[in-house]
Amino acid sequence: MSANFRRNLTGFAFVSPWLIGLGLLFVYPFAASLYWSFCRYDLLSPPEFIGTEHYQRLASEIATGEGFGKAIWNTGYFALLSVPLSIAIGVGLATMLSWNVRGQAVYRTLFFLPSVVPIVASSVLWIWLLDPRDGILNRFLQSVSLPSQLWFKGATEAMTPPDFLDFGSKDALVLMSLWGVGNFMVIYLAAMGDIPTQLYEAAELDGAGRVRKFWHVTVPTLSPVIFFNLVMGMIQSVQAFTQVYIVSEGTGEPASWSLMLSLHLFLSAFQDLDMGYASAMSWLLFVFLLVSTALLFRTSRHWVHYQGAGR
Amino acid sequence: MSRRKPHLLAYALLVVTAIVFAFPLMWMVLSSLKPSTQLVEDPYAFLPREWRWSNYVEAVQAMPYVRYLRNTLLLAGGSVLGTVLSCSLVAYGFARVRWRGRNMLFGILMATMLLPWHVTMIPRFLLLRELGLYNSLSALIVPTFLGDAFFIFLLRQFFLTIPEELSEAGRLDGLGEWGIFSRIIMPLSFPALTTVALFQFIASWNDFSGPLLYLSDPDKFPLAYGLEQFVSSYADQTHLLLAAATLFTLPIVVIFFFTQRTFLQGIATTGLKG
Repeated sequence: MSANFRRNLTGFAFVSPWLIGLGLLFVYPFAASLYWSFCRYDLLSPPEFIGTEHYQRLASEIATGEGFGKAIWNTGYFALLSVPLSIAIGVGLATMLSWNVRGQAVYRTLFFLPSVVPIVASSVLWIWLLDPRDGILNRFLQSVSLPSQLWFKGATEAMTPPDFLDFGSKDALVLMSLWGVGNFMVIYLAAMGDIPTQLYEAAELDGAGRVRKFWHVTVPTLSPVIFFNLVMGMIQSVQAFTQVYIVSEGTGEPASWSLMLSLHLFLSAFQDLDMGYASAMSWLLFVFLLVSTALLFRTSRHWVHYQGAGR
Repeated sequence: MSRRKPHLLAYALLVVTAIVFAFPLMWMVLSSLKPSTQLVEDPYAFLPREWRWSNYVEAVQAMPYVRYLRNTLLLAGGSVLGTVLSCSLVAYGFARVRWRGRNMLFGILMATMLLPWHVTMIPRFLLLRELGLYNSLSALIVPTFLGDAFFIFLLRQFFLTIPEELSEAGRLDGLGEWGIFSRIIMPLSFPALTTVALFQFIASWNDFSGPLLYLSDPDKFPLAYGLEQFVSSYADQTHLLLAAATLFTLPIVVIFFFTQRTFLQGIATTGLKG
């Protein structure tokens, strides 16, 4: 045996557990779900090829805003609110922690702690905090003369003018996700620590005040992390499942107002046993995520600055 | 940002924000210790009328807590073992052995991290069911023995920082790749392996969708899933719900306090998890 051959074999041997996993848990499921997306498949009888029927159904649901269309709307609403807000709050909290104050470690711990709370526990907690009748948050709103909200029980969207101040189930989910923003905050904080002080000194020499230093030094140097937050936030919103399932007791009710994509997919597959339809949906989601990630990467060239990238 | 002495306003802002973030947890713990009558009559009182530690005893007795906990520890223990074993092996193969196709396969590994779990969920479920793993904790543990892209990446990055001279020295002493891996690299990688074990433990402890998909027999439920079941049946017993939720959260918070350094560094250097 040549030394080369031996080395190749050794390398393969070391990565073989993952290779088996790749085949069984990625390649096969990937191919199978693509095929099943063109089949009628209810688990009771073998898959039966029916062409693009499921995709046509998905397209018509997008057009009518029911089922899949509704789930897209709900997920989009959630993502468009929670991702930008999580960036703003994450950067905001990290900025506050970068101030030269006493007890910084205590503040950092308090800001971060909510993000380690298991999502099942935080769902239970927020269902109770946001109870329309007895919840503490509504109580607080009343005490400052603001209207009570329906939160998880609400089927309103704070989008259209008359409902603008009514917060429903998705707004409650956004609130809950922002409470757990600590993960991103830690990354921002680490990135801020890496910003060379000379940059700030140079800006000061140029007469920049606090605000301008923030926008012209801090934000550009954080832009790779903001970009990371944007991509991960988008992927996570589309995949948000556990909290959505728990707060609606696995239904997406009231009025399908929190029926997000992953819950709709789960229910189609394991409640309606419509594996073909669910597979088609999962492929559309996959393609959507692929395309939007690629688009984000493309725009990133214009606004993400990598330090030492020499441009 | 600047090194000047901060404003009083800055302190005020920090304190208010800290209260906003800490309040829900504090409120949960305080209320979990209130008598159930107080939660009904006067839910907004800040302190418990009397400190009802017995709420916790009641909550533990109201659900098969010990069984759920045992299942959780089995699940987490098995998954940590599987993850640490498989990921360190694979990471070694990617970091320290030079072989053909390594870079291409590593690219594929990274790409699998971006895949949404939806796409593979259904066939994966049917496959594991076909293998007789449905309604068994093994359905959740066995896949961890096949590696996880995120942890493999994390360990590979760590292995790359270990000087190649150490491997050379091992080779001169007659060690093969396996010997270098087990006698030199692994003992040096204790911090990275701890990070992986820690994150996997927390992921298993928190996992809800896995048990929801694969387990049907209440005897096999881990805490995360058991707690959710408890919520639907004890919806009007707020004091028990909050005690159970606190009890479920506490170990993770304790782990966080003891491993804060590892924890925060792990998140800061690798992006995220958890």
